[in-house]
Amino acid sequence: MARRDLDLPSLVAGIAVVLLGAVLLLDRLDVLSLRFASLGPLACATIGAVLLASGLGRRD
Amino acid sequence: MVGARPDPDTLSMESHDEDPTTPQGGDHAADASDPSERATEKSGDATGPPGGDPSRGPAPETPAAGGAIPAGGATPAGGATEGPRRLYRSRDERLIGGVCGGLAEYFGIDPLIVRIITVGLVFAGGAGFLAYLAAWLLVPEEDGESVADGGNGRLATIAGTVLLVLAIGTVLPFWNGPFGGWGWGGPLVSLICLGLAGLAVWWVASGEHPAASGTRDILRRAGFGVALLAVCGLLALGGAWATAAGGGVIVAVVVIVAGLWLVAGAFLGGARWLILPALALALPAGVVSAANLDVDGGVGDREYRPAVASEIRGTYKLGVGHLILDLRDTKLPPGDRPIHVEIGAGAVSIAVPRNVCVTSKAHLGAGQVNVFGHGSGGLDVDWRDARQAPAGTTRLIVDGDVGVGVLDVTYDSPSDHFDRRRSPADRERGNAACIGGVRG
Repeated sequence: MARRDLDLPSLVAGIAVVLLGAVLLLDRLDVLSLRFASLGPLACATIGAVLLASGLGRRD
Repeated sequence: MVGARPDPDTLSMESHDEDPTTPQGGDHAADASDPSERATEKSGDATGPPGGDPSRGPAPETPAAGGAIPAGGATPAGGATEGPRRLYRSRDERLIGGVCGGLAEYFGIDPLIVRIITVGLVFAGGAGFLAYLAAWLLVPEEDGESVADGGNGRLATIAGTVLLVLAIGTVLPFWNGPFGGWGWGGPLVSLICLGLAGLAVWWVASGEHPAASGTRDILRRAGFGVALLAVCGLLALGGAWATAAGGGVIVAVVVIVAGLWLVAGAFLGGARWLILPALALALPAGVVSAANLDVDGGVGDREYRPAVASEIRGTYKLGVGHLILDLRDTKLPPGDRPIHVEIGAGAVSIAVPRNVCVTSKAHLGAGQVNVFGHGSGGLDVDWRDARQAPAGTTRLIVDGDVGVGVLDVTYDSPSDHFDRRRSPADRERGNAACIGGVRG
């Protein structure tokens, strides 16, 4: 069985999306209160991490 | 070493002129390492005519714009001096991207001056940061390669870095202070995020090889991009509506599953296409959650005009629309009367008699609160206006929860809250029935 290379953008995006989903879930369950002040940086960090991983991957 | 150079079309001529096999060119190449000659070259840069004047012909004492000195002035007819003066990012005078160095060389001034001005502009609302970023992306390097030319991998790297810096910066306490203009939701940050979000869509839609060849290839990629955007738009709307309608837990679980699928796909392959749909589902749902937008109360306009105090409900709720509570003709006994109003998206207008004292508190995900001409607006608005009423006076205790929209308390007709919000009359006479309080 051929060994596949790790797809860094998918891995980073996956982790970021899981974290985002977890925050959403906790907010809906009233464990925490999501606000724009925390969503903004979280969204930026998510998209930024995905773009960064993609950019680094393509420069290899 | 210079920021201003002739047109690339003329570079081949310069190379020819500086050919070591040419005696004059070889002499010049040796002279270029001499500091005194270097100073002369700088001076020529600063005082020489921009781009040279073709009508003057070759001039040995006036090097070509940008400092690419022809060999002892032995420029061929219409040679290197004919190209327009071009701005490049400097390779030698570089601290970050060579932008300041390139500008300094273009204008023939000390790079330190440009750097000081740029840093100053960063503190002036971040203009320097934006200008530097734009120049970094758009201005080519001395070898003629711009960031955009360097492939979307490099562009994505820079965009990702900027987004991460913004994300970190906005949560640091000092970022809202002396840096000014960096508060979350400010126009500068919003514009940057909007532009970079567009870049993210372009990156995903462009695929691995953006250099399409042929009309069919371009159309295929454009079709793929449009279809992907359409699917993502539907996902965004569906996710946002489902979250607002009370299905936020299900949406969150779907987002987590999509994320786990991506993690698995990173090892097994074939899941990269899921990145954009997953983000399109998660981010709008996050916006709805942050705004606490709830459409459970229905959609449309609701108007309540209770005649007596016993008809006043404890809670008024509306999903989307305009909720009007007109108490101007209501017979209100002395004492406290609490009212809780909730709206997902839209406006809440509460009209009260002039002899009633109003104490209010509210949370708005995004929007504007206005109590007798005083108020606050923006994202994550927490309003509190605590008032005391004299004995024998009715005190209305308003507790508002608005997802996205306006909460308005006034003496006047509640039918047009937007015009009245700007009225100075309310501000003058507002809450006169109270005897003091704390607004914040």
